[in-house]
Amino acid sequence: MKKLTNLAVASAIAVVTAGAAMAEGLNVPNLTYRTGPFAATGIPLMNGQRDYMAMLNARDGGIGGVPIEFNECETGYSTEKGVECYEATKGAAIVTQPWSTGITLQVLPKTNVDQIPILAPGYGFSPMADGRVFQWAFNMPSSYWDGASMILNELGGGDLSSLSGKKIALLHLDHPYGKEPIPFFEAMAEANGFEFLPIPVGLKEMQNQSAQWLQIRRERPDYVIMWGWGAMNAGAISEAVKTRYPMDQFIGVWWSGHDADLATVGEAGTGYRSISWSAPQPDAPVMADIRKLVFDAGDSLAAEDELNSVFYQRGLVISMILAEGIKTAQENFDAAEIDASQLRWGLENINLTDERLAELGMTGMVPPFATSCANHTGHSGGWMLQWDGAQFVPASGHLMPDSETIASLEGPAAAEYAEANAPWPVNEDCEG
Amino acid sequence: MELLNQLFVNPFVDMVAAPDFLLQVLWEGLVSGVLYALIALGFVLIFRSSRIFNFAQGIMVVFAALTLVGLYAMGIPAWISVVLTLGVMLMLAVTIERVVLRPLVGQPDIILFMATIGITLFLIGFGELIFGGENKQMITSELGIPTGAFELNPFGGFLLLEQKDITAVIGAVSLVIGLLLFLNKTRMGRAVRALGDDHQAALSVGISLRTIWVLVWFIAGVIALVTGVVWGARAGVSFALEVIAYKALPVLMLGGLESITGAIIGGLAIGILEKLFEIYWGQPIMGGNTETWFAFVLALIVLLFRPQGLFGEKIIERV
Amino acid sequence: MLFRTAGQFKTSYLKDQTLFPVRQDAILLGIILAFAWVIFPLTASEFTFQTLLIPVLVYSLAALGLNILTGYAGQLSLGTGAFMGVGAYACYKMITIFPEMNLLVAVLMSGLFSAFIGVLFGLPSLRIKGFYLAIATLAAQFFLVWLFEKWAWLYNYNASGAIQVPHVEMLGTPVAGPQAASMTQYYFVLVVVTLMTILAINLTRGTQGRIWKATRDMDIAAELIGINLLKSKLTAFAVSSYIVGVSGALFVFLWRGAAEPNLFDIPISFRILFIAIIGGLGSIMGNYMGAILIVALPVVLKTLPETFGIPISSATVEHLNVMVVGALIVFFLIIEPHGLARLWTLIREKFIIWPFPH
Repeated sequence: MKKLTNLAVASAIAVVTAGAAMAEGLNVPNLTYRTGPFAATGIPLMNGQRDYMAMLNARDGGIGGVPIEFNECETGYSTEKGVECYEATKGAAIVTQPWSTGITLQVLPKTNVDQIPILAPGYGFSPMADGRVFQWAFNMPSSYWDGASMILNELGGGDLSSLSGKKIALLHLDHPYGKEPIPFFEAMAEANGFEFLPIPVGLKEMQNQSAQWLQIRRERPDYVIMWGWGAMNAGAISEAVKTRYPMDQFIGVWWSGHDADLATVGEAGTGYRSISWSAPQPDAPVMADIRKLVFDAGDSLAAEDELNSVFYQRGLVISMILAEGIKTAQENFDAAEIDASQLRWGLENINLTDERLAELGMTGMVPPFATSCANHTGHSGGWMLQWDGAQFVPASGHLMPDSETIASLEGPAAAEYAEANAPWPVNEDCEG
Repeated sequence: MELLNQLFVNPFVDMVAAPDFLLQVLWEGLVSGVLYALIALGFVLIFRSSRIFNFAQGIMVVFAALTLVGLYAMGIPAWISVVLTLGVMLMLAVTIERVVLRPLVGQPDIILFMATIGITLFLIGFGELIFGGENKQMITSELGIPTGAFELNPFGGFLLLEQKDITAVIGAVSLVIGLLLFLNKTRMGRAVRALGDDHQAALSVGISLRTIWVLVWFIAGVIALVTGVVWGARAGVSFALEVIAYKALPVLMLGGLESITGAIIGGLAIGILEKLFEIYWGQPIMGGNTETWFAFVLALIVLLFRPQGLFGEKIIERV
Repeated sequence: MLFRTAGQFKTSYLKDQTLFPVRQDAILLGIILAFAWVIFPLTASEFTFQTLLIPVLVYSLAALGLNILTGYAGQLSLGTGAFMGVGAYACYKMITIFPEMNLLVAVLMSGLFSAFIGVLFGLPSLRIKGFYLAIATLAAQFFLVWLFEKWAWLYNYNASGAIQVPHVEMLGTPVAGPQAASMTQYYFVLVVVTLMTILAINLTRGTQGRIWKATRDMDIAAELIGINLLKSKLTAFAVSSYIVGVSGALFVFLWRGAAEPNLFDIPISFRILFIAIIGGLGSIMGNYMGAILIVALPVVLKTLPETFGIPISSATVEHLNVMVVGALIVFFLIIEPHGLARLWTLIREKFIIWPFPH
């Protein structure tokens, strides 16, 4: 009796609210994590995303005259909650932004059935670049394999064979995210004769990495590359300082370049580099709009010192990419209120040129790139950012990944995925 | 043959080949061990006096550290923040005793255990609501904890001893000595021990259960604060710190749920052994990250031979 | 009134011991089953299936498994999540090695693997008890999750280290994988859960159940009356882990669709322990009530502010949610430490003697 009424009431509420979630405007939910051990790195990114959309709503009344409904659903970086959020939001949403490689992998097969695009800028499954296989998934402007390739190019000075005989360690989170670049590094190690040493950091050990750094001290790798996230970054950087690992031989992926993580060690972290497909531009025109319309209006959740950080501004870029996708779709279909499959077309046909970036007031915040039906990543390349003791500053020219090598790995990996998940729809109509 | 070599020969060859590195491993293990022992001590005190297996010890560490950092961020001087944090921990102890424990007196152990998990969840939500989920910096230097490092050169190698780790060890040791003095020399302390030895007898000689419960929960709060400060100094203060509570569990198994000596020795032993195992066996042979389970498996094996733990009291059951 | 027992006479002991000594219980169960089998599937939305109906069933099955061990045989376990993982990985390996295998057979067989592992980790229960045993089961929890991460064969050497449920068909309808309809999955889970519940009811009411209860209530006394404790405890571990393993296979194959090792980490073990305890230890029905409460509560709490139009950020909702769940656990433990099942029994007693309480 009791369980009956309980369930009846609960499902009634859920059914009602699921219906009520339908609202006017472009519904673009974000699966955020402002709680849990990964909140430290999640919050500034999500503040940036949110503020950009708020700025568009305040300045232009949304995109193409339609206001943006930017909802957050809290996942705490838990895959389970993430899938719940995906299920709860997918009804009205035109896109899903899973914000964790684990969640991305779980919703990836479902999006084919639900026909909703996944936008995972700079994260997710690297072979998602292959738009023929992953028709609904986007990870522009750069995939993890791009990042790994750019780092190796920088280390080898453009010539990978110079890495021969070197030892390169990958300090990574023991989670789908951290394991993502391993196949690429292994392939490169074999092709170029360097020794590759993966060092996993368990979710429970993020804050206490003394075992990992003792291993680094014993193995004496020439370079340590970090695929860290959340509390792991701060832990790794303070251990590196403590064990006096040379900072200029320590390089992180773009998610391991958070200002606050380095700020804890300050001067001692000087020389640490992080590859990045975005760069903060405090003087960019877009920042003036955000300050005026969102931050000063009190609509922002961000703190003053956060606005110029790498992560906050990357959040802006992410929302900008989504907004560009929406705008492209609106122009092509000549409709203001687009649906999920129209947005998919839009995301597939983004052409972000230097001129367009200047128009958006975001010059220098992201390299120009273009997507296509077959190329869902865009492979924009990026810059090395270096910690100068107080902030991240660009420390390289525009770096490009080794597209050919990556493509030769992406194709088979994507095909393998499709085969393991057969029947998997493949769009053969795309050209190269 | 190759495997046997890897298991029984190579690790020891490595140890002898780089004695400075071995010393470093031992030192790192010792520092973690001291902290495990501290947390385990918090568990033991509460368990002895109330038979409650206090799962909330881990979150209390986070909560204490966050309160300290939060108060300091409000502009209150560091040492006054410490005093205020102690006040907050006292309030927490009183509240827990009043709201949760008192209505549950006499319930089966497992119910009380679940209640502490409920408290854990509540404190996680409450803490994140007030302090936010971001990683924060421990106010190490503001509290006068030195942050430099000593570099020694034994056996021609080098050994790095961080001053904050040394402070952690000294702080933990003095806290333990203080606690032992308190438990053995003061009236209150003896009351705590009496309650642990025999509930009924203690009550009948006029020891107040409620006062003692508040007291032990407060002591657990003090331990949580000290642990939070030293552990937070190593890698920042965030909710991920909570997981160190799990590390104290095998210590309890090994040392016995009721033994203070057991908690201290067990903590040190597990801290050192798990580090040695990880470095010399786990990483080369098993792909690393063995620290998550090594202590548990070790404790399990020990328990198979000594079911009451190394220092636990032998349970005599009557039908 | 509803529970008037007038006219229902018991003329033999056997009749007094039947499953439904009061006729109205049977009618009530019939209504509940009608809801579960017909009305919910017809009316539920996709969201309701995915966030309420299927998870409630899967979690109650896992709690049922744990309840047999903890509630009936008295052995506290904190490693439920890992045993679910064993079931899930076993099912995954079987399905990927033999793609032609019937999923129902695979799910039922995957429980055997976790039963084996369960017995293995149950061995220490012969020596250690209470909290010591609880911590010992944590050894299983942490070790197995570590193994799921490190043993690449288990996840078919996937780059991400996660397992992805392949497309599985039964009788021409997809039942697992992305193309399966929620309703099909719901019915599949419902069939398995019903089967397991019948099994559990019969086991716990029969000789084996009494042996377990004797072991739980006082093991030395049980030993004196000739109960083999070794057998009793290990069968409890085996049966419990079997059911938990089956629920793990359902969890991944019929609900999640993919899993990474840390999905089976300690939070899920605690969650299931909550369900079993809040529902009521030593009760079959309690598992369902506990699962409904623990699964539905966060979903309802999450949707409440939206329903009433309170502007509150999703992070704050999540914080409040965690707080409320924690507080409710304490609250329920205080008002009824024996769980919702006991609460229902008390209410039912009141109904039976109403309107003339003695």
